[in-house]
Amino acid sequence: MLEARLEQANLLKKVVDAIKDLVQDCNFDCNDSGIALQAMDNSHVALVSMMLRSEAFSPFRCDRNIALGINLGSLTKVLRAAATDDILTLKAEDAPDVVNLVFESPSTDRISEYDIKLMDIDQEHLGIPETEYAATISLPASEFQRICRDLSALSESVSIECSKEGVKFNCQGDIGSGSIHLRPHTNVDKPDTNVEIDLTEPVSLTFSLKYLVNFCKASGLSDQVKLCLSNEVPLLVEYTLQTNSYLRFYLAPKIGDEE
Amino acid sequence: MARTRSKPATKAKASTPGTAESATKAFPASVENPPKLFVLPKDTSKDARIVTLENPATGMPSRYFFCPDRGFYEFTRIAAPKRESRSWLITSEKRLDDAEKKTDAEEEKNKKKKKEEEEEAEEEEAPGGYITKSSDLFIATPIDMLFLILPALAPKSAKDTKQLFLCLDDHMDKLSSSSPHLKVLLSQYPSIRTMLSKRLTACCDIVDAGDETMFRLSHAKLLSLLLTKASRMCAKGLPPSLEEKFIKTALSVPIMTIAREESNLSTMSTSTTTTKTTTITDNSQASTTPSTTFDSQSSTATTSTTATNISTEEIQEKPSLETPPEIPHLLRLRTALTYLLTTYLPSPLRAPLQTLLTSTPTHDFASLDAHLATLTKLKSEAFALRSISDNISRKRGFEEGDEERMAEREEKKRKKEDEEKRKKAESRGVKQLRKVDTSGMKKLSSFFGKPAVKKT
Repeated sequence: MLEARLEQANLLKKVVDAIKDLVQDCNFDCNDSGIALQAMDNSHVALVSMMLRSEAFSPFRCDRNIALGINLGSLTKVLRAAATDDILTLKAEDAPDVVNLVFESPSTDRISEYDIKLMDIDQEHLGIPETEYAATISLPASEFQRICRDLSALSESVSIECSKEGVKFNCQGDIGSGSIHLRPHTNVDKPDTNVEIDLTEPVSLTFSLKYLVNFCKASGLSDQVKLCLSNEVPLLVEYTLQTNSYLRFYLAPKIGDEE
Repeated sequence: MARTRSKPATKAKASTPGTAESATKAFPASVENPPKLFVLPKDTSKDARIVTLENPATGMPSRYFFCPDRGFYEFTRIAAPKRESRSWLITSEKRLDDAEKKTDAEEEKNKKKKKEEEEEAEEEEAPGGYITKSSDLFIATPIDMLFLILPALAPKSAKDTKQLFLCLDDHMDKLSSSSPHLKVLLSQYPSIRTMLSKRLTACCDIVDAGDETMFRLSHAKLLSLLLTKASRMCAKGLPPSLEEKFIKTALSVPIMTIAREESNLSTMSTSTTTTKTTTITDNSQASTTPSTTFDSQSSTATTSTTATNISTEEIQEKPSLETPPEIPHLLRLRTALTYLLTTYLPSPLRAPLQTLLTSTPTHDFASLDAHLATLTKLKSEAFALRSISDNISRKRGFEEGDEERMAEREEKKRKKEDEEKRKKAESRGVKQLRKVDTSGMKKLSSFFGKPAVKKT
């Protein structure tokens, strides 16, 4: 059986909020190393991969591997019932019909308990290799969100060019064009605002802005976001969570017609 | 007992029983002109032969069996339907007793055959017997020689109505061109002459001119002759197939309340199609096979030719009324008559005889016509009614009958509903992403292999 106690119900809330607009239903794969999730959007051009390691929970108990097929809409509804600082406990049998969520208020003795019916989800599971990316850009999550939001007003897609000088987000739209240039930047006082570029070779790729905007819904999870690019390879957008956990998005580049 | 004898198609040869020439040794190539199986009358004279004469109805040369003592016989071909491939195994007389198997035409015939036991193998010396490919069986049945000379008596076309008194020879001369054998026969066997003139007397007006008797066809006499024949035909009841098709169906009174009855339309259409077959088969066969030939299919077809004619004028009757007791007999009589007319009479004669028939004092066909007319009316009413209700009932029948399909449909519906529900439940973001132009973007599965190690 599974029993996972999460100090911050808010974490799960944010994760689910971030991905519920990308996928509808997905399997939460629980094993002794933690809870993992991998799902693709309907068009199969974007993939979300989440890993909540067992260290994020206290305690974490998972006797055998369980796949919890959950409709994210339902999960959102239930999670909405949790206060930000509630303690969340996930429970499931070994062959579960439902997943049980318990919210404990740390200040009061209020305990709320919900069951969500599980579903059988037949999902393609992709093996994603560890890749050495040609360019890795770390920037404030809010900054990336802003870039995407601003540029999406102009165009459907953005080209990300990364060179020694910095990274350039460039778009061409019907009403005009826009570009945002970021240079590496270090602020010792506020490391959150750092922009770091780790470059082995220059890359230039084009991506759908709508998807990027969608990914940015995870911005609340982490101060920094990491963009990893290599030519002809999907973009990796990673939000690092505490205790080695992460939320990653992959997006296939636009190849061919330059817009 | 009739004897069956297979014989190559050379017809002019005198028929001596049981001779056959094509010798078959171990799987010889199939004979080009395979022997045919005949059931012939027994006790025919030695001089009996097969002759080619003009078919009175079609004018095509056909083959007839002729015995100087007994007169003419026509051949009827009986065959298994095309779909059932059958053939004859003909064995020698001795084998016949213990096991004779003809993989052939109807069992009935087999039985008959057995009885007749005169069946002879083509070849005494062929130990295994002989197998003919075609399952045709030709049965010779007596035909009134009157029919054979009718073409000579009948006007060539409907227009020329003037008929002269002619002596027998003059009449025969008319036939000589189309039936050269007849002339030979006449000269060879004077006995036929007497037979012929007797038949002529029965159907003609006669004038004695000196020592010669002159004949002219009398429609009235011919008709009464035919009527006699027809009544003899129905005396024992018509054959079941005819009875079913032309009497029962024709006289069936439609049931108005339940709109389910033999559809007029279908009977009509079948009879027309079969008619077509008849003519076709007749033509094609006339050239190749002796005399009037029908395979079993076309034999019904012939009847249906009759039927069509009949159906136009007589297949119609039946109010929700009772069928007057004399009606079935009248209809049978007329069916038989129509059959005779179409099968044995030259076409120019048919129309005048038909008209004459209506005014026959002996039989009151008018009542039949009236009855049939009422029936037609009723039928067409029922049909009109049915075509409406039929639609509905047929549809329902289809749905009920096809439960599987219904289940399938339900499944589909459910799926569709599920899909719709799912779509409604989609979050706004998911919906928006659906609209994104993903052209130029490859699926992620093309980047990430399926069976790879899961990233950690």
